[in-house]
Amino acid sequence: MSDDHDQERRKKSSRYDPSRRKFLKGVGVAGAGAALADHLLTGDADKVAAKISTPGDPLSGNVNLVLDLNGQKRNLTVEPRTTLLSAIRDRLEPPVTGPKLVCDMGSCGACTVIMDGKPVYSCLVLAVDAVGKKLTTVEGLGSPENMNGVQRAFVEHDGLMCGFCTPGFVTTISAYLKKNPNPTLDEVREACKGNFCRCGTYPRVFEAALAAAKAGTSG
Amino acid sequence: MPQQQQTQPQPSPTPPKKKKIRVPRVVNGVEQMVEIEVDDVAGPTWGPNDKHTLLNHRLTRVDGPLKVSGAARYTYDVRLPGMLYARVRRCPHAHARLKNFDSSAASKIPGVKAIIQTPLKEFRFAGSPVAAVAAISPEIAHDAIRALVVEYEVLPHVVIAREALKPGSPEVLPRDSRKPDEKNLRLANKTGDVEKVEAALKSSDAIVEAEYSTSRLHHCCLETHGMVVDYSGGDSATIYATTQGTFTIPDDAAKELGLPQSAVTATVQHMGGGFGSKFGIGIEGMLACRLSNETKTPVKLMLTRYDEFVMAGNRSGSWQKFKAGVKKDGTFTALHATQYRLGGVGQGSQAGQPYAVYRVGDSYREVYALQTNEDSSVAMRAPGHPQASFAMESLLDELAYKIGMDPVEFRKKNVRDDFYKHQFDRGAREIGWERRNPTAGGNPGPNKRGMGCAAGTWGGGGNDQCKVDVTVSRDGSVVVAVGTQDLGTGTRTFTRAIVAEELGLGIKDVVEQIGNSKLGSANSSGGSTTAASLSPSVKDAAVKARLAVAEKIAPLFGNAKPEQITFAGGNVSGGGKTITWKQACAALPAAGITAHGVWRSELQSRGVHGVCFAEVEVDVETGKVRPIKMVQVQDGGLPLNRLTMESQINGGMIQALGMALWEGRTIDADLGMQLNPSFVDYKLPGSLEMPEMIPIIDDEDKREVVIGIAEAAIIPAVGAVANAVFNACGVRVRELPITPDKILIGLMSERRSA
Amino acid sequence: MNTFEWVSPGTVAEAISALKSAPAASDLDDAARPIAGGQDLLTTMKDYITRPVRVVNLKGIRGLDKIEADGKGGLRIGALVTLAQLEEHAIVRRNFPGLSEAAHSVGTPQIRNLGTVGGNLCQRPRCWYFRLEEVVCLKKGGTECYAATGENKYHAIFGGGPSYIVHPSDLAPMLVALGASVSVVGAEGKRAIPLDKFFTLPSEGNLRRENVLKNDEIITEVQVPASKFAAHSTYLKFKERDSMDFAMSAVAAAVAIGPNKTIREARLVLGGVAPVPWRVTKAEGYLAGKTPSVDVLTHTAKIALEGAEPLAKNKYKVPLTQTLVRRALARVGGVRT
Ligand code: SF4
Ligand code: FES
Ligand code: FES
Repeated sequence: MSDDHDQERRKKSSRYDPSRRKFLKGVGVAGAGAALADHLLTGDADKVAAKISTPGDPLSGNVNLVLDLNGQKRNLTVEPRTTLLSAIRDRLEPPVTGPKLVCDMGSCGACTVIMDGKPVYSCLVLAVDAVGKKLTTVEGLGSPENMNGVQRAFVEHDGLMCGFCTPGFVTTISAYLKKNPNPTLDEVREACKGNFCRCGTYPRVFEAALAAAKAGTSG
Repeated sequence: MPQQQQTQPQPSPTPPKKKKIRVPRVVNGVEQMVEIEVDDVAGPTWGPNDKHTLLNHRLTRVDGPLKVSGAARYTYDVRLPGMLYARVRRCPHAHARLKNFDSSAASKIPGVKAIIQTPLKEFRFAGSPVAAVAAISPEIAHDAIRALVVEYEVLPHVVIAREALKPGSPEVLPRDSRKPDEKNLRLANKTGDVEKVEAALKSSDAIVEAEYSTSRLHHCCLETHGMVVDYSGGDSATIYATTQGTFTIPDDAAKELGLPQSAVTATVQHMGGGFGSKFGIGIEGMLACRLSNETKTPVKLMLTRYDEFVMAGNRSGSWQKFKAGVKKDGTFTALHATQYRLGGVGQGSQAGQPYAVYRVGDSYREVYALQTNEDSSVAMRAPGHPQASFAMESLLDELAYKIGMDPVEFRKKNVRDDFYKHQFDRGAREIGWERRNPTAGGNPGPNKRGMGCAAGTWGGGGNDQCKVDVTVSRDGSVVVAVGTQDLGTGTRTFTRAIVAEELGLGIKDVVEQIGNSKLGSANSSGGSTTAASLSPSVKDAAVKARLAVAEKIAPLFGNAKPEQITFAGGNVSGGGKTITWKQACAALPAAGITAHGVWRSELQSRGVHGVCFAEVEVDVETGKVRPIKMVQVQDGGLPLNRLTMESQINGGMIQALGMALWEGRTIDADLGMQLNPSFVDYKLPGSLEMPEMIPIIDDEDKREVVIGIAEAAIIPAVGAVANAVFNACGVRVRELPITPDKILIGLMSERRSA
Repeated sequence: MNTFEWVSPGTVAEAISALKSAPAASDLDDAARPIAGGQDLLTTMKDYITRPVRVVNLKGIRGLDKIEADGKGGLRIGALVTLAQLEEHAIVRRNFPGLSEAAHSVGTPQIRNLGTVGGNLCQRPRCWYFRLEEVVCLKKGGTECYAATGENKYHAIFGGGPSYIVHPSDLAPMLVALGASVSVVGAEGKRAIPLDKFFTLPSEGNLRRENVLKNDEIITEVQVPASKFAAHSTYLKFKERDSMDFAMSAVAAAVAIGPNKTIREARLVLGGVAPVPWRVTKAEGYLAGKTPSVDVLTHTAKIALEGAEPLAKNKYKVPLTQTLVRRALARVGGVRT
């Protein structure tokens, strides 16, 4: 029966046939370019909207806000659509570039920051939505001269190669060890399953996390 | 002045004798062997591998603290005052001609500063760049590329390799007028005597015929391709590039900017992965330069992740058909191979069969490039090797099962180089091969374990492109400078370590300067040639620096001969006297000393061996494959840094695991578009996919030379995992990746035929 | 992402009026959208699948972020409760284990820290044609379902046509199995919708939506009633890649145990195989009153997959789902397999 079904569906498809072009009809950037641009033109890009602290009123255009980042109050101007990640990398002066932009879709973990104590993907948080939250990036955990326990363990156990995923792993694991200072290997794996590494550092990331926990120096 | 030198040559000592040697050069990530001339004089040696104080030890990365704290600045992190952000508009059609391009609406968006078209008028794959925009923010740049109105004449395409072979299929590229019958199929080479092979097959005890294929893979560098062009209309420019070849940037960038090459500096301090895909400025670099030139403003163009999947290159797919014969005693007698390289509009790559590790008796092969309307493949870690190795290792396994021979013994019987034999023994011991059930699928219960093994080889030799300066100052500080790049491979660390060891210092006492085209030249990091190209030059410079320091400070030691002054543990000794390094350096002239190192062929070599063993568990009721353990034994001459070498081996195994079990481009035949250009749908292995991993540096290799192993590391594990899956569940999946659906379908059809 | 207006109301009523009063939109997917965790919405906005002219932030609304006992052994889960909160909640873990498991199976720790219960139920499809910006398929107002004859490995084997998506929510099958309902508030007032009436098949409801929510409506709460099923509930999710993936197939199972370990009644809802949580009542019926054994479970699994209509590339989903059904029931029914 399912085969009949298949046949039916298949009838609609005719590969390598000129009529296949109907398939392509729907392909293209959605929305006519001109109309799209008109909409943008009305956006009044230069207007600086009211302070974000007045809820209820629609904000658009450029918005001034203050972020509580690595223990400092930082002023910046964003659009409502600016992600927290882009805000700190592309808008903040001087920028904070520890968190990396890799997938921009919440699927790699390189942009992880700690928001009110919890690791989150900063590419999936709007900057306007991060106001009033306590934000910590990898820079806020330690510096090259004064690394936290997780950072030290990463260096010692070679938990990094190209290092582009590393800030995300360090941040995720630092936050996790605060919550669970004495994890098993399986718990560590589970905690960083939202962080991906292309160079293949996982085994040593696990080692580093467990070593940092053992040394009791997650902070 | 040079002219004067020509007319009045300085009397010089008789020029050193020359010798010719063959070395690998890397062009666009692909190794080519070339003949060069080098001095035929005795130079420095490394000495025994077990006599080093820093090299062959476990050294933590010198750039580790920067990278773990977010302080390392990558190209993607560069932000210059007034800098514009650029985005690329791609063609969504697999084959189309540009009909109309209207940028009027886009150009009216406030904040848009420049719009340029690429030179392309006909697009042969979905994802071809059509235009680029520079604007004051990334968001506005993105608005603008979407506001461009682009009209196409859509042309017929073919994106499925097997379809491209059919007579009625559309033409991917215009035909070569000299070879009118070759449409999408181009013969690359034919080797061997087909009649001999036929005869050998006839006299074989068993024959296996099988077809294997591998998917197009993506590098997935976490840092996408791109660059920041720092040019404001003056007479010089700096290019921040994420590149495997610092010196592949200035030439082309200068052309785009209309500047002399010497006015352009390329720099790459840290980079987020390349894996073979980052050489030259690329089309994205060309667009960035043009936008910067047009606006006389710095421009940053980093590809989006979607761009990266569809236009930044990929690993060639493969399709290989074999007929092979074997004797009952395990002698491989004959191989007939037809190989298709699936490189989209490019030529693709695939190591020729028989794969270099094995002796197969008589062999014949035909290799074709089979083209489709997909973006061209580019070099990716060991181009062509994992594809060929997977197929050959699967075939070997099938032959071994057919004659009922242990796969390890079968391999040991047929390896070309006996050096592999102890590697197989070592790997078998580490994985616990004796626990393996020789009957495929023979273990009880739904969760069945199985093991497999495979071997790989690679060159990894160096060439003479690196020029290194070591400067020792009067305050005792030491700088080693060369324009090379560190891809995360540990280049910075071993560069420092070689110099520190030579001068008897600690690794922190030396500072390296790399990643800048104004420093001494260096080769591109491709073909695993970096270590073997760079380390001999560094060693040469370090030795020269040591001798130069010794010569200057000789008076402190009763004018001892430079060779008799020794440097160890931060001290300098000679003539029975010992002083600290700092005290010694105080006797240097005001400018210190600088030594120039050149490449020494005797300090490096090529040719490495590796075997991988894998254990997996297959849930035959769901088709899930769970990797349990992987062991890889890898030689590489003198290990410069054991810690990072092990990490490289791990990384190779993990990327191979991804290729074996999850990764692959999915493309829609009718739309001609990739359906999984994201990290959600293109599935890289993550933390829960990791088995226990044992990277083993093979110290049986006593060669006192440096050889690169980065690419070697990715080769054998693909076949090992595939063979382990078969051993576990009895289903031979010949088309990578081995996903649960294929195993379940395989089991269903087995049941049906039983 | 397109530009939009950002509105942060303080009450449900303000949120509804902000949705209602938004500038007119030319397309359904341009209309104002509510945002909670944003873990799915933002991805659809980045891919221009959703292009809201106004985004209404619900997180400023007080009181929607709590898990409370309803006094009768059931739960009231605010729509803004995060998946991490749900997963870790002591009462949920103890009395509704399947729900905790379902929450745990979602995405990654980072996603669960922000993603909410309401948002999880309102996720858009993961169909890869749908997610490509350039492809305008049926679900986006186009004329073709490309998956029907294309790359449909991850698509529906039940309830498909004319779109063949599978519903991506992990909470949904479990909540349907537990007999949950949602409170929905809109301009026309408040309504309670049993969750099995909330999701719509492409052939029944608005093809461009996966549920009955109107544009100016929001979910405020999920009610999970006390039931004889809840204590023996489980959610078994099969992912192609364990670290992060949507379900290739999933089973939410809950049983009421009778005397002598018989199964008095069962709830069996499949995920990852249909455009809605797919309840298999015939299999539930077969199981009722039986003492679970390997044979009984195998037969139940067979019945559960009766009527499946696999597409060209997803036939594997039938044996896979049968296995999951067996294993899920074995877990809640106390059978060793
Ligand atoms: S399954 Fe639905 S979402 Fe996917 S292509 Fe078909 S209509 Fe579009
Ligand atoms: S960049 Fe945010 S998760 Fe990948
Ligand atoms: S270290 Fe390169 S991606 Fe993880």
